[in-house]
Amino acid sequence: MSEIVELNLAVNGRSRTVLVEPRETLADVLRERLGLTGLKVSCDVQVCGACTVLVDGLAVSACTYLAVDAGDHEVLTVEGLARDGELSPLQQAFIDVAAFQCGFCTPGMLMAATALLSDNPAPTREEVVAGIDGNLCRCTGYVPIIEAVLAAAAARTASRPDR
Amino acid sequence: MKRVTTRPAPPSPIGESVPRRDGVAKVTGAARFTSDLSVPGMAWAKIVRSPYPHARIRSVDTSAARALPGVIAAVSAADLADVEIYYGHALADHPLIADGVVRYVGEAVVGIVAEDAATADEAVALVLIDYEPLPVVITVEAALADGAPIIHEREAAQRPHRGFEEEIERDHPNVCSLSTQSYGDIDDAFDGAHLVVEGDFRYPISYAYAMEPYTAIAEWSDGGLTVWSSCQHPFMVREDLANCFSLPQSRVRVIVPFVGGGYGSKSYTKIEPLTAALALRAGRPVKLALSIDESILTTRGDGAFIHIASAFDADGRLRGRRAEIALDTGAYAENSPLVGRKAANRIAGPYRIPAVEVTCRVIYTNTAPASSFRGFGAPQGNFAAESQMDEAAEKLGLDPLEIRRRNVVAPGEALWPGVRGMDADLDADLGLVAEALDWWTPPAAGHGRAIAISASDAGSEPVTTSLVRISADGSVTVTVGSTEIGQGSSTVLAQIAAAEMGVPLDRVQLLQSDTSAVSYDRSTGASRTTTLVGLAIQSAAADARAQLLDAARDALANGGAVEPAPGGVLVDGVHHDWGAVVRAWFAGAGGEIVGRGYVRKAGTTQAMPSFWEIGCVGVEVSVDEATGQIWVKHLVTVGDVGCAINPQLVESQDLGAAIMGFGMAMREELVYTPDGNLLSGNLVEYRVPRAGDIPPFTSILAERGDGVGVYGAKGGGEGSLNPVAAAIANAVQRATGVRLRQAPFTPERVWRALQERDAGG
Amino acid sequence: MIPRFALARPSALGEAFAAFDGAGGDAAWYAGGTELLQVMKMGLARFGTLIDLKGLPELRGIAVEDDGALWIGAGTTHREIERSATVRRELPGLAGLEAHVANVRVRNQGTIGGNLCFAEPHSDPATFLLACDARLRLEGPGGRRELAMDAFLESPFVTARAPDEIVVAIVVPGASAGEGRAYEKAKFRERPVVSVAVRLRLAGGKIAEAHVAVGSMTDTPIRVAAAESALSGIPADALALSEALVVGAAAMTRIDAAQDLDGSPDYKRHLAGVLLARAAQAALVEAAARV
Repeated sequence: MSEIVELNLAVNGRSRTVLVEPRETLADVLRERLGLTGLKVSCDVQVCGACTVLVDGLAVSACTYLAVDAGDHEVLTVEGLARDGELSPLQQAFIDVAAFQCGFCTPGMLMAATALLSDNPAPTREEVVAGIDGNLCRCTGYVPIIEAVLAAAAARTASRPDR
Repeated sequence: MKRVTTRPAPPSPIGESVPRRDGVAKVTGAARFTSDLSVPGMAWAKIVRSPYPHARIRSVDTSAARALPGVIAAVSAADLADVEIYYGHALADHPLIADGVVRYVGEAVVGIVAEDAATADEAVALVLIDYEPLPVVITVEAALADGAPIIHEREAAQRPHRGFEEEIERDHPNVCSLSTQSYGDIDDAFDGAHLVVEGDFRYPISYAYAMEPYTAIAEWSDGGLTVWSSCQHPFMVREDLANCFSLPQSRVRVIVPFVGGGYGSKSYTKIEPLTAALALRAGRPVKLALSIDESILTTRGDGAFIHIASAFDADGRLRGRRAEIALDTGAYAENSPLVGRKAANRIAGPYRIPAVEVTCRVIYTNTAPASSFRGFGAPQGNFAAESQMDEAAEKLGLDPLEIRRRNVVAPGEALWPGVRGMDADLDADLGLVAEALDWWTPPAAGHGRAIAISASDAGSEPVTTSLVRISADGSVTVTVGSTEIGQGSSTVLAQIAAAEMGVPLDRVQLLQSDTSAVSYDRSTGASRTTTLVGLAIQSAAADARAQLLDAARDALANGGAVEPAPGGVLVDGVHHDWGAVVRAWFAGAGGEIVGRGYVRKAGTTQAMPSFWEIGCVGVEVSVDEATGQIWVKHLVTVGDVGCAINPQLVESQDLGAAIMGFGMAMREELVYTPDGNLLSGNLVEYRVPRAGDIPPFTSILAERGDGVGVYGAKGGGEGSLNPVAAAIANAVQRATGVRLRQAPFTPERVWRALQERDAGG
Repeated sequence: MIPRFALARPSALGEAFAAFDGAGGDAAWYAGGTELLQVMKMGLARFGTLIDLKGLPELRGIAVEDDGALWIGAGTTHREIERSATVRRELPGLAGLEAHVANVRVRNQGTIGGNLCFAEPHSDPATFLLACDARLRLEGPGGRRELAMDAFLESPFVTARAPDEIVVAIVVPGASAGEGRAYEKAKFRERPVVSVAVRLRLAGGKIAEAHVAVGSMTDTPIRVAAAESALSGIPADALALSEALVVGAAAMTRIDAAQDLDGSPDYKRHLAGVLLARAAQAALVEAAARV
């Protein structure tokens, strides 16, 4: 018994309507229907974090999340981090310290770190490690990623003296 | 990061940590990997895989699968009579789809092509295959036992031009290759020894876990075959595809988009022939995107069982080393014969050993095939050999640092007859690690420190090419055949081109990894790209500059004096940039000067290996004796790279390599059941390091300008993996007194060793 | 690929039961999906209808009941429990362990009710809640009932819940004076190898009462009576405790553990003894603060 559902998504601030089956994952719909191939599918068992996107600001594994559950919620993917062509401080920090090599984990890592920083704008190193511990990277040994998140937090704090 | 530099200052932007050129693409999600691509008219493939580790295929019935709406083709070996289905790097023993026999759980038996992935997935369940189970061999011991079932009845042809000039030796039907490394009088070395240490070591079957699973798209057209693939060696894949489908290599085009990690696991040919065969039968472009679970079943790392004995003088000098290495290569040879050959020589370490006798058997088992993986035979042997250096030091009452210093070869000294002299200062590297570890101050109670070192004959074959093209506006387009797999070659090679042509980096465009658009490179592996492709670019740039100088004399000089200058030429003291020279020579109607660069086994790259890759690491550990958990408190690496073209990228490679070694030392292991099923064949069970696991890290770059490459550079990124397991095992020994002989050092293994210690065992 | 299903989205319990009835029994309750979607993707389960419980207000929220018990709606996510000020105050051990369940994404999606209903033998909350005498409140078309954790968890992936019943809430008795509850796990890979939860109550300088639960070793988390009696009634001093822990560790060696990738039975039994000591110490610290 298959059914097709009209799904309204707010993705990266734009509203999109797609027809989906309930069984389709958010990863499939974003990648195959909406062309948002930034998020990656790797382990497919919610371990690696390559498919991390934010739904109402919360990090989820898009590989194991029904697209219909994102209906009428705000979805943020890596394509939505830069505003008007301007990289987010976190994206810039990733470039500055080379916090990636192959880049396959990077979209998910950026989303996990974005959620972390919006929750905790001035994290300690330990809090950064805890925040990205569920996102695997096989290239960098993580140290540059941790440095990048800390640098982005510092940049943000510095640009907001009221904090 | 600490940099120890004794080389001359190179021209800008060499030695500068310029931002990665793929940075914006990778942080915005714009970077396209093969899995992100689609081709108009593309259909999707899924694979029916064997549930048996060894079985004869009695019959295959795909009628129900074909009848499912949306299914385009269901292909088994019987449907590929017009295709040479056997391929392989060293031995052509691997059918692109099972040919009457399956040899491991997970082997591809039928390929389904459908309009979409979901339909293909449903059709997989509808294929009926009748198997006749055969006796299985899961361990190397069982493979060599009397009366062991033979895994390959069919005689496999040796492939030409794959690094084996002589015939591959075999001494048992289940041995796919036998390598020996032998020099000196081994009996004399052991007979006259003051001390012999001898023991067995085991290194796990591992999985590289490149986060991007194997993915390929194949499209046939009048022009031939085009394949997009997440592969490291597009030109070798091209050669294999040409062979399978009887095409000239020039009519096979392999394009490599961004690659989501390789670490050797995407070396050589994987799923490309199968994808191309499915596209051929389907009459449509086909995408085959494996899952990670399927990727584990496609290529893994060789597990090793090693028996080793080392003979020493009373003063700790090595007299001889014997070793027998058994590598478990699984069902197919892939590139393991070469891994075996490297394992055989690399176990001698960077040491002056008068006599060595090593045999390495690469052994077939009914498990997933193993092939190259970062370190390439070195980590396995190094774990055993460097453990023995510490055992010997302890028995001789020597400092483990001192015993290594007494034995490492000097700069320029050959490790064995006929090879390139050591292009590194190993004694100095050891000293750098010791200093960073605070070696001479006793560690805290319960802590232990250790240093381990390795040398690998690196660079693979010195065969590569480059074109450097100077446009009419003076900008520079560089083409190379090597692949950007995350290591940063697209940045580093552009830096080299900018320096060589004397133009700003943003005037350089680098094109890689499209066999029809760029010139040949043999492979992206063995840490060779910066060194060898860098030399090809340097040579192409020199050729371009020479042509430009001639062009300037021809078209600009007007009888005046022409001399080279940064970014152009001086004509009677007046600077003309490269664009002006090109425009003048082509008389204003555009044009382009093309410089060619070749690197081959000649001149400075004649001696083999092209360079030695050094691994030199130190660790400090403590052990929770109640649980057996090891805590690495400090990890030190030395990147002995001659000249760090981009120090930030070298450091990141070094750390990444060391953490991969740490993963295999601590947790990573593919475990097979006795009946041939993989217990840890997914990322829940196969535990790779996480952010929370990473020890405090000190990175040192040693730049002594002693490499054969541009500005004295030589390769890195692999060395720091190799000695990590031995360093951790030795540090645990110093902390607790127990000697670990089987990696990974799971808490249970450590706990058991502690139990034996406490029982006085 | 997840097999096809229809999705029902009730907004009240009654609608949920009606949806289940309408699906002719070929239905599963669905909330966070972290376990259910995974097994469906692997082809291990298939349902004609999934009934989404996320819209049921009856399953939401965290509250302290009149008798001091902590009420946690079954639809509460791990992350919500981890960050709940109420849980941190009333049952800090639970907030603490929730912060280390899987990863942040699973904690954002997965619910406590789903975790318990899935009955995975390595469940962190199940072991801790067993030691804490937690009870599950279930509602079905035929009415409501309450089950203790040990009655609820029957075997791996099997509970006493009838297919048409919904776990509505988990209720944990409030801490009495001098009570401490702690949880320790050994985890070397994705899941815990062994976990131990200890609940004890100090009175008059003695450990008046002790509960010990062990998880991950057996089909379902178990209470270890011999360890509990060893700890009960002893003076709350270091010497008596260390003697009792020796007896407790010996009790752990009689647990019938399974061999798997995380280790051998004897190693797991040994770890259980180590974790018992660590959990007991932590529980004592909390208990002392509540005296």
